[in-house]
Amino acid sequence: MSEFTREEDNYLLDLTVDEAHILINLVEQLLELLGVDDIPHHYDESDPFAQLMHQLKPAPDEVATPEDPVLLRLLPNAYADPESAADFRRFTEPAMRSKKNATLRKAREALAVIVDTNSPGVIEELDSATWLAVINDLRIALSVRLEISESSFEKFEALPEEDAQKPLYAVYFWLGWLQSNLLDLMLA
Amino acid sequence: MSTDTLSDVESDTDLHISQLVDKPWVTIVWDDPVNLMSYVVHVFIKLFGFSKEKAHELMMQVHNEGRAVVSSGSREEMEWDVQRLHEHGLWATLQRDDKV
Repeated sequence: MSEFTREEDNYLLDLTVDEAHILINLVEQLLELLGVDDIPHHYDESDPFAQLMHQLKPAPDEVATPEDPVLLRLLPNAYADPESAADFRRFTEPAMRSKKNATLRKAREALAVIVDTNSPGVIEELDSATWLAVINDLRIALSVRLEISESSFEKFEALPEEDAQKPLYAVYFWLGWLQSNLLDLMLA
Repeated sequence: MSTDTLSDVESDTDLHISQLVDKPWVTIVWDDPVNLMSYVVHVFIKLFGFSKEKAHELMMQVHNEGRAVVSSGSREEMEWDVQRLHEHGLWATLQRDDKV
């Protein structure tokens, strides 16, 4: 299985085509779940006028609490009290979605090079913060679908090979191992 | 064109007074079976500038007791902390200090 290597402040991940396929599928499914929040545009985002216009964009009147449990876990309520939680969501959720979107897109672009050329390769253009964010969002998404609990690893090991969920569990635990590998390198 | 209206002034004053009598707010991180211990320590150090020991201690408190207060201050500051914790995939909420 692939793992990260460190070269000074760069973190490189050598991936097989199969691994890149698994990751890009998950990234794209999560992007779809988060929804498209931007359209291709022709203005330069560093342009002061564009930045000013962006700041002036009012908060939406209401942002509904996500019904999908994955989205609710990724964008949780900040307050026990529903009214405060709704207010918080109104002011923060659009930006949170955009940020997650942008990070996942960066990963998608890097993974697409391997998938599109159908040849294994090293991803070196993503920084550690991007990798941690992407891996963590994917783990959280999978954990909700798999109903992960403290005893899930034992459950995974006991599953027969032909069980349809076994590969999903394997990916979930592989991602945890990758994240742990990356954190170890960052602390080294 | 004036932007100050009477109602604005009133609500500003209300807010000011309520801030003076309010107890501080706290940010709570809740345990979950997904986030790796080493990742939670990393996030605490990154977001709050804790020492490795302090971050580890708080992570263990979340793990063993189900939750831990990781910061306290004004409501606005705590909302910012909760937002950053959510961004990093941790399950966090804020509330008044006296409810903890």
